[in-house]
Amino acid sequence: MFDHIECFYRPATIREALLLLRKVGKHGRIVAGATDIVTQADRSTRYLVDVTHLGLDYVRGNKRGCVIGATTTMAGLEHSPVIRALAGGILAKAASTCGSIQNRNMATVGGNLANASPAADTAAVLLALDAQVVVANSRRKRKTALTEFYAGPHRTVLNDELLEEVVIPALPGGGRLGWSFQKLGRTASDISLVNVAAGLQADARGRIKWARLALGAVGPTPLRARNAETLLLGNIISEDLLTHVGVTVMREVNPISDSRASAEYRREMSAVLARRALRECAAQAGCKP
Amino acid sequence: MNSMQLYLHVNGELKQWTIAPGDLLLDVLRREGYFGVKRGCETGECGACTVLVNGKPINSCLMFAAQAEGCEILTIEGVEQGGKLDPLQEAFLEYGAVQCGYCTPGMILSAKALLAERPDPTEAEVREALAGNFCRCTGYLKPVEAVLAAARVYRQSRKQVRPSGARPKAERRPALHGKKR
Repeated sequence: MFDHIECFYRPATIREALLLLRKVGKHGRIVAGATDIVTQADRSTRYLVDVTHLGLDYVRGNKRGCVIGATTTMAGLEHSPVIRALAGGILAKAASTCGSIQNRNMATVGGNLANASPAADTAAVLLALDAQVVVANSRRKRKTALTEFYAGPHRTVLNDELLEEVVIPALPGGGRLGWSFQKLGRTASDISLVNVAAGLQADARGRIKWARLALGAVGPTPLRARNAETLLLGNIISEDLLTHVGVTVMREVNPISDSRASAEYRREMSAVLARRALRECAAQAGCKP
Repeated sequence: MNSMQLYLHVNGELKQWTIAPGDLLLDVLRREGYFGVKRGCETGECGACTVLVNGKPINSCLMFAAQAEGCEILTIEGVEQGGKLDPLQEAFLEYGAVQCGYCTPGMILSAKALLAERPDPTEAEVREALAGNFCRCTGYLKPVEAVLAAARVYRQSRKQVRPSGARPKAERRPALHGKKR
């Protein structure tokens, strides 16, 4: 199946990897966990560049955010004390639903993002956490918001660049936060039909002062439901408000029909999961409807 | 076709193999005679091709052989020691957890990785650990029971002071054997 591969490179430093990526150009493909690359079996790939020996397997917590190396595996996220303690553990929870243990031992967070599947489970969570990605080529290094990273289904703004790390900035201070990750799939480890990540912060009177709502598998890229977020701000969580938010979410998503689910079903479930996520957030933030 | 050299340990033995850069680990292991590594779905769903890489279960159908450079691979062929079956293998026999046998190597390896990390797993943890290993003979209940039984044997054997090299026998549990459901 991969008899068209001419060379498998194992660079030992980031610098070496970046020079190789420049050299192999569009016939090259970055390999980390390989789980997506092998199943896609793209015949235009002639060179594979293994980036798992560059020292990019780490999770470093700082004040209230953290930095995650791109080749940290899903299992690594799941078991990391820093990730389990961050934002109610929703990133650890999302990572734990990315396929079977066998796949989670291989699949990496950088790969989950760079593969740009609209259904990627860590993507919705990282959008809700305002994550940024650090990408580099042999000439420059830049940091970009994850919201600017996606160009379409299975397409990113990466050209000959390597995703080096994911940066999660400090979470908002000064009040109780609530978090939730919700996933609808056929089985516990299946690809998402819809996934939702949410974060809320309420003031002392229970008014929402900060809200994040991100969804996956319901559009060409993982997306933020910004109108729904705006609708929440300044309000007290009630079932009426959640109904409004659900309607707004259904207008903001743009799902397709495929072998797993119809667009109509995905749209309906977007609202259901968004409401479920916000109820869980509200309970944690002490502003239960 | 370009070729490359691969150095790795398989079941404790150092191997040097000539591989193609795009070879998958599953194909290389089977080519080298490790037929306990089963070819199933080839898309990372069924777990029949599970092997342990540095102690962790992975699907060898989704891993390039070149990624295994310098790694320790354990296949089902390396689970028995000195002609003695591992307590997990004994327990799978004892509990009738094998039907056609195609998923069995993967199940035992997934279970082995679990018990190395969690000597006293709950039933839920066993089920989670085996979730990536599909059985199409509908035999999930008995593998779960077998893994829980093997865990008890492992724990008992650790408590006993025993001469090095001696391995524990699977616990005989006649009360459960042949139990009606």
